[in-house]
Amino acid sequence: MDTETVLELQNITKTFGDLVAVGNVNFELQVGEIHAILGENGAGKSTLMNLIYGLYEPTDGSIFISGIKKQFKTPRDAIANGIGMVHQHFMLVENLTVAENIALTVSQFSSRSGAIMPENDAESQQYVDRNIAALSRFRYKTDDAVQITESLSKHYGLVVDPNALIRSLSVGLKQRVEILKALAVDARILILDEPTAVLSPQEVKGLFNILRRLQEDNRSIMFISHKMKEVLEISDRITVLRLGEKVYNGKTGELSARGLAREMLGEELTEIERIENNTTNGLVLNISSLTVQGNRGEMAVKDVSLQTFRGEIVGIAGVDGNGQRELAETVMGLRPTVGGKVEILGKQPIGTKNIRQCGVGYIPEDRRTMGIIPTFTIAENLLLNVPHLENVANWGVIDQTIKHHTSTELIDAYDIRPPIADIPTATLSGGNQQKIVLAREISPQPDLLIAVNPTRGLDINAAQYVHKNLLAQRERKKSVLLISTELDEVLKMSDRLYVMSRGELIEATEHRDDIEALGLLMTGETDTDV
Amino acid sequence: MYNLPASYQKGKLYYKKILEKYPRLVQWVVVPMFILSGAFITNGLIILLCGYNPIQAYSAALNVSFGSITGIGETLVKSTPFLMTGLSVAIAFRCGIWNIGAEGQFLMGALSATWFGTKIATLLPNTSWIAIPLCLTLAVLAGGIWGVIPAILKVTRGVNEVISTIMLNYIAIHFVSLMIDGGPLQEASKTGPQSDPIAHWVSLPRLFDSHRVHPGIGIAVVLAIILTFVLFRTTFGYQIRAVGEGAAAAEAAGFSVAHNTIRVFCLSGALAALGGAIELMALTPRLSDSFSPGYGYTAIAVALLAKLHPLLTIATALLFGALSKGSFAMEAEVGISKQVTWMMQAIILLFVIGLGSVQIFQKRTSK
Repeated sequence: MDTETVLELQNITKTFGDLVAVGNVNFELQVGEIHAILGENGAGKSTLMNLIYGLYEPTDGSIFISGIKKQFKTPRDAIANGIGMVHQHFMLVENLTVAENIALTVSQFSSRSGAIMPENDAESQQYVDRNIAALSRFRYKTDDAVQITESLSKHYGLVVDPNALIRSLSVGLKQRVEILKALAVDARILILDEPTAVLSPQEVKGLFNILRRLQEDNRSIMFISHKMKEVLEISDRITVLRLGEKVYNGKTGELSARGLAREMLGEELTEIERIENNTTNGLVLNISSLTVQGNRGEMAVKDVSLQTFRGEIVGIAGVDGNGQRELAETVMGLRPTVGGKVEILGKQPIGTKNIRQCGVGYIPEDRRTMGIIPTFTIAENLLLNVPHLENVANWGVIDQTIKHHTSTELIDAYDIRPPIADIPTATLSGGNQQKIVLAREISPQPDLLIAVNPTRGLDINAAQYVHKNLLAQRERKKSVLLISTELDEVLKMSDRLYVMSRGELIEATEHRDDIEALGLLMTGETDTDV
Repeated sequence: MYNLPASYQKGKLYYKKILEKYPRLVQWVVVPMFILSGAFITNGLIILLCGYNPIQAYSAALNVSFGSITGIGETLVKSTPFLMTGLSVAIAFRCGIWNIGAEGQFLMGALSATWFGTKIATLLPNTSWIAIPLCLTLAVLAGGIWGVIPAILKVTRGVNEVISTIMLNYIAIHFVSLMIDGGPLQEASKTGPQSDPIAHWVSLPRLFDSHRVHPGIGIAVVLAIILTFVLFRTTFGYQIRAVGEGAAAAEAAGFSVAHNTIRVFCLSGALAALGGAIELMALTPRLSDSFSPGYGYTAIAVALLAKLHPLLTIATALLFGALSKGSFAMEAEVGISKQVTWMMQAIILLFVIGLGSVQIFQKRTSK
């Protein structure tokens, strides 16, 4: 393999007001290379990607594609220059089919003029141009789109049904469609933003196989992640960003995982201290034969029974969309049951208000729509549940002094930044928004805490902070139900382990050392996607 | 990159800095000022096109609305129905309820007051101290019931409240017509489509001899202040705002969206109906077809321009009161025809709704 540089960044800087999001970064991407970008949240990874993809214009510095200086004003410019991006949150139209989604992308480009094109790829160029010509006609023909999608997926070995509706696809397949979309306009540089965050171990393997195939095809891949293990497995070269600056660049294998972590964080990782504790006395949550309908009328939770006791963390692992969300919402009284019952401390409270007053805390998976109200101030969001609100009120009138005291106390105790009670929460970072949720839900020390993906989108330090708080609940002899799609997190935190797959709950404590077995459970044993 | 002169950049930054430093100034002063000046310039052009002098027209309007004690009093009187219906809309929108039904609720309040004032009051001792509070209470009940209907439809059947409240407006408008045109509330002489005047002891007294200022204005202002306190200082108001700005989060917190929808719809209907009753009891002693020139619809603009803040609604209601007073003046003193002044009012509304609501909806969809 030659070492031709396909993408080069020279002294790229991007500032937002006084904040330097990316400072003076130099970066080179070789042809046929898988280059991992490691960094904490807020290290500037996303900003850097958005600069390359034309979503931002750099404040300073320049971008070279195959040695030619380029300026991208919009993603269209970037795509026309052979850059494709697979976003963390998929950019797909859920109500259209696979073929229609691909046609939608392709039809926006009348030609691939200006693209970097290795000479031996003239055939591929013609092929893509033909696709573009077929799909950018005024009249959309289903057959053409299906045929083009089929030949594309055959060409790259990305099997997916062109006529399937996007919303019926698993996350792994949706990701495939995203990759196909990029390939349909012949992306030579593929940027994958946290591609494994939502995948099961098997699906990750599948993705890695695809990436290797694309690599053989002389495409270059930028792989953004903060999962060390995966980065070490797939990449040829690693760049580490910290606080907007490049702190390390080298061949994979030069530095150990610990060394890379030190580069990322600037300090040695502090492992959480765990005290083994098996005195499981006192039943807190008792779910028996629970069946719940999902939003589309399907049985999202099927005949699930589960008990949690004082002083333990019960973990539920599983790939997104297997009924975990519905299970948590039902326990919180946000969703009606079809069958079975939920008992909390021996009682069967009806309605979210009564459930919360029984001593249940809830960290919902969707922080920005269920955890906080972005337009509310920090102080107001800290009151956002029934027991809290009643604590600060006399005869329905909110006592401003008590409100002020509680909020400053919690802002201080949970290190919420900026520590200003009266600013809208929307202006805070994701991590700090999550701290508001934690402060509100954990500070009353609820007997039962239901935490759904509590560290999603948080950096390592913030995630550790969440974990410490969950463990503190355990030490206080409270009960925690941790539902997460991050397998590592569930493995690390839980005393007892379950896997949820297709609405069914499977006890998996004995498999905790066998990732392969867990992965099979998570994907429902018979796995056709890999 | 843009090659703007440095001085321009600097000026732009300075401007931006001020705006960022005082978000309330932007929200409550700068944006409304832009909207109003845009509307007045457009209207000025229309006056010009119609062959009149816009300066003369505007000064006549200002002079009549604010130039004398009587004028100011009359502006206050005109503002009251805008304020009551504006508060009704503001409180509903705060809760994420798109209540377009203030018009119908306003009419139902007036209708119930007419019924009480013409049929029931005569059976009671002729004392205002008993009759007036009873009549107002009846209107509040009527409006509350009229507001609960779309609330129940929404909560139990998922019926969009925009549709149901518009339908209920039609029902209210035609029900009023039915009652006063051949119906049991038509005047005893049966000459025209209007009711008998209400008994004089149900009428709200005038506070001064020279003009029509009445205690209803005070009631409306006090209600605006109370609603501000409720919204921002009580658990009820907190829940209203939580449901309006983040229904899913409110539900997860344990606040019932359904309960709050019913409570707020009821309150919203009661406020509009109280406005209708006050208007009838203080100004027109008879109910007729032309009783409301669409107060309930204009109320949406009143509330949105006030950013759904009850205290600011006082100011925007005054503006609308002055506008309607001012258009009479332009008509009477400058000779601009009624059609043109109505058009001009509608243009102001368009500016307000077009620009003012953009902010509201951006705020709501930004999550």
